[in-house]
Amino acid sequence: MDAFRKIDIDQYDEDVLPDSELFPTDPRDPSTLLTEAKQKAAAIRNNLSKGDVAGALDIVLSDPPYGPGVDEAKNLTLQTLVTILNTTKSTDIPPILKSLSQDSQDTLMKYLYKGMALPGWGDVSGSVLLGWHEKLTEVAGTGCIVRAMTDRRLV
Amino acid sequence: MAAPEVFNLAQVPITSHSFNADRTRVAVSLTSNDVQIFDRHGNDWKPTEVLSEHDKQITSIDWAPNSNRIVTSAQDRNAYVWQQTPDPQTGHLIWKPTLVLLRINRAATYVKWSPNEDKFAVASGARAIAICSFDPEGDWWVSRLLKKPIRSTVLSVDWHPNNVLLAAGSADMKARVFSAYIKDVDKRPAPSVWGEKLPFNTICGEYASPSGGWVHSVGFSPSGDVLAFASHDSTINIVYPGGPAIHTIRMTTLPLVTLAWTSEESIVAAGHDCQPFVFSGNAQSGWQLVGSLDDPNANKASGGSRSGFGGAPSPVGRLQSSAFNTFRNADSRGISSSPGSPISGPGGSGESELFTIHQNTITNIRAYESVGAGQVTKVSTSGVDGKLVVWDVSNVTPVSAGGLAGKMGNLSLR
Repeated sequence: MDAFRKIDIDQYDEDVLPDSELFPTDPRDPSTLLTEAKQKAAAIRNNLSKGDVAGALDIVLSDPPYGPGVDEAKNLTLQTLVTILNTTKSTDIPPILKSLSQDSQDTLMKYLYKGMALPGWGDVSGSVLLGWHEKLTEVAGTGCIVRAMTDRRLV
Repeated sequence: MAAPEVFNLAQVPITSHSFNADRTRVAVSLTSNDVQIFDRHGNDWKPTEVLSEHDKQITSIDWAPNSNRIVTSAQDRNAYVWQQTPDPQTGHLIWKPTLVLLRINRAATYVKWSPNEDKFAVASGARAIAICSFDPEGDWWVSRLLKKPIRSTVLSVDWHPNNVLLAAGSADMKARVFSAYIKDVDKRPAPSVWGEKLPFNTICGEYASPSGGWVHSVGFSPSGDVLAFASHDSTINIVYPGGPAIHTIRMTTLPLVTLAWTSEESIVAAGHDCQPFVFSGNAQSGWQLVGSLDDPNANKASGGSRSGFGGAPSPVGRLQSSAFNTFRNADSRGISSSPGSPISGPGGSGESELFTIHQNTITNIRAYESVGAGQVTKVSTSGVDGKLVVWDVSNVTPVSAGGLAGKMGNLSLR
């Protein structure tokens, strides 16, 4: 690519609108978030061993890390979440989804899309993600998908 | 409990519509540079006049009920005020445009007369709102710009009943309340829940949409003490500044793009789901979706093909079941909508017909008829399907709580 194509034209624009002015970044520190994510993962393993999927989902979907610069915590959270999704029987999914709060439903939708967007993940857990996506859309509607797309606080 | 009145004005999207005071005439823009005025003849609307002056597409029209002036805004960065004056030669009444000095360098997106009709606000893509007032010496309308802290295109504005405060919704995902106080026009406003001292460009409130959607529509309640805004994250938010409390309703449907208050405790809002939803509530008990003005069982449009769907209206189910219908017809009757087959235009019929009256996004909703102050009995909607519909707001069909969940249960049984 030619050098001029890499010029950041925004720096010459006085009215430039950076992401930071559009939406808040996660106020928490990256290392705190990582520790939290690890603690959650441990708690969730405990829940899953008891077969408490709804409780595990509740933990992973509450206060998820978001925004730039916290990729490690985000990835760990996604992995933990996918573990939960993988271990759930498909007949158990609808009642679990209905018990979630609207906030959690929206967050779960964001993770489902993130999972489907990652290269290679489609082969590993694509059908699981799609299965959850279908059931979640039945419960939370298209509005939930719209919110997952508009929300810039990326998980 | 009258059925909705449906008028097919055009085969193209209606960008904006506005009625005159006695609702015998309506000004619309049919995705063009011109304003069309239709006169009502019984149950029909006949095009009578065309107002041409803009040289790019018109974005918004507002007809002032008392002073009988029309203001229009367009993508050509201009606004015009149209007034009926006798033609010097013939003596006929013609609509004469007056230029407005907007001083904006992007499209004008939305326009609205103030309650006293001595000012109007023009929203624009130039991250600014022009507050315009008449200058008799120059015989034109001059503007002052509200700029800070708007960070993106302003999509809609609404005036507070005190003629001073202005709400604006913009693509930077915020709804704001500004003071648009103009010294020569306004008397000092009485203190309200929004503040006491209100010089021009005071920011009385700034509210972000909960999940980061553009704010499509804003509206003050009839008293002006409550603000509602609808955003592209499929939410509608009701703000009580005194509380301070914000009630958010997350829809299970596609986003709402336009809203109108029908009383101090109820709102009608519509958008990409092609039907007007009714919300009601108050500061104490919170707000909820109570139903839709569009009853799919009353719309005889698609006849028997709907019978398999249980009939209960669902906020999400209709688009879905219409798609389902298409596939079922393809399967059982060999009707296909493959490329090349005649497809229905906007508002046309065919297997892709929706069960709602509007066949495409509703872009505009306005109070049509009211009794007393702020008690709206009928609202009018227009949209991308070229239809103009007048709804009785008391005619609410409850939306089933099960929503899509119940619907899909039906489908899997078949």
